[in-house]
Amino acid sequence: MREKLTNPEHVRTWPGSIPVEYVYTAGVAGEAYLRAIKERGRLAASACLGCGTKYLPPRLYCERCFEKTGEPRDVEARGTVETFTVAHRDLEGRQLEPPVVYAFVRIDGTAGGLVHRLGEVDPGDVHIGLEVEAVFLPPAQRTGSILDIAHFRPVRHRPAAT
Amino acid sequence: MAKVAVVGAGMTKFVRRAQETGRELSWQAAKMALDSAGLTLKDVDAVVIGSAPDAFDGVHMKGEYLADGSGAWRKPCIRNFVGGATGVFAPIQGWYHIASGQFDTVLVVCEEKMSSCHPHPQGAFITIFDHTTERPLGPNLLWIFALEMNRYMTVHGITKEEIALVAVKNKKNALDHPCAQLGEELTVEDVLNSEVLAWPVNRLDVSPASDGAAAVVMCAEHVAKRVSDKPVWVEGVGWHLDTAYWTNRDLYYPRYVEYAARMAYEMAGIKEPRKEIHIVEPYDPFDYKELHHLEGLLLCERGGAARLTADGVTQRDGDLPVCPSGGLLGVGNPIAAAGLMKVCELFWQLRGEAGKRQVPGTPRRGLAQAWGDLMQVGTVIILGR
Ligand SMILES: [Zn+2]
Repeated sequence: MREKLTNPEHVRTWPGSIPVEYVYTAGVAGEAYLRAIKERGRLAASACLGCGTKYLPPRLYCERCFEKTGEPRDVEARGTVETFTVAHRDLEGRQLEPPVVYAFVRIDGTAGGLVHRLGEVDPGDVHIGLEVEAVFLPPAQRTGSILDIAHFRPVRHRPAAT
Repeated sequence: MAKVAVVGAGMTKFVRRAQETGRELSWQAAKMALDSAGLTLKDVDAVVIGSAPDAFDGVHMKGEYLADGSGAWRKPCIRNFVGGATGVFAPIQGWYHIASGQFDTVLVVCEEKMSSCHPHPQGAFITIFDHTTERPLGPNLLWIFALEMNRYMTVHGITKEEIALVAVKNKKNALDHPCAQLGEELTVEDVLNSEVLAWPVNRLDVSPASDGAAAVVMCAEHVAKRVSDKPVWVEGVGWHLDTAYWTNRDLYYPRYVEYAARMAYEMAGIKEPRKEIHIVEPYDPFDYKELHHLEGLLLCERGGAARLTADGVTQRDGDLPVCPSGGLLGVGNPIAAAGLMKVCELFWQLRGEAGKRQVPGTPRRGLAQAWGDLMQVGTVIILGR
């Protein structure tokens, strides 16, 4: 027999759900990260007091040597596209118009970075190595979430070399 | 088989709602355990993580999530999960990592953050019931304990007053634990007069929902002798599963505990457990479970644990101290971390480092036990000095 169940109504079934909701804390280091975003429109990083690894998002401890990290400090929300994708379908499989560019952005001077959307750029112009900066929502609209960053966009005005 | 020692232990405070993430809690406990052993992450060959359902923290693949806080960066790492029995299974897994000869030093970390689950972790427990035969009734976890407690009480003629003595004892013991969530001076009347949740279970018969982490450092004999002047040895381990159908066993007696205990006693060469075990940390998420488990552990006859409790035998200064830590009822119940907390307690007690909780005399051997899934998994570890 190679039959399989193609119509669940042919057998006795009933729908069910797992009715659980969550409230997550950002944690000690995560709190500092989200506050920097919301209150100052900056990102924050913490450096290991043992080996100096600079974590972004900040962490309470160093995964490499297990020492505590120093107080998170603000860093400029600027970095480099390390890789990216162009999404054409959403979670339900619907066409995204226009397509959305998601990039992993390595933040300057840190061992970390974040995945976020790219904006103010044509998908065809995005390339690995592109220098980008975060565009924050106006302070009154921020809630303390990574969505307080609207997107990253290409850096247009590089400071003049000295 | 190679000898395996515990050389360090650590834990966070157990609290109702921690600001720390599960990773941060894990790091606090793991770091404390390593520091207490005078070791660093460089000394650790492999990591064992124990954490109960992903649904509590609300993080899918919690083992991976907790790995960096548990010291598993670029190391062999495994997460185990046997429900409530996880906290004692984790050091068993640590033991076989080392007893096999594969690793010399293993960091064992258990964590649970139950406050993420809203409004209450009961919501996550509902789905452990069979979706066909039980869930249509809308059961909650307290019901199954109530059914078991009633059966246990009725078969042996044990009263709620006798059972309440366990809650009174453990919550009092917890007053001396710096990490405890619910240390309290209570009377039997307080327990009996607390809100009925599902008869015969009242609110004070039950341990709280908690956030927390605990950790131990385990190592092979040659390392233990080098790094520790007071190693505590793993003398026996046991784990066992009864049928998952609770309609096919008698709830009055926990066979899964007995089978796990027999395995551990045989390994430890223990013939008369009541004489050869000096402190016990049985799993006590409910007060009657401490009694139930003492019987399953063969530390008294079936139905005899209430008598031991009433006679004061199980007090910290009694002949067989039971839950000198304060147990889950008093210290708190972040599921997997609560089980490992019991192993930490044995470590501190056997080394004479339990502070105000120290049992008199010099206990030589202790047993910790946990139990889980839908009441059919038993895990047992015996430590000695
Ligand atoms: Zn470091």
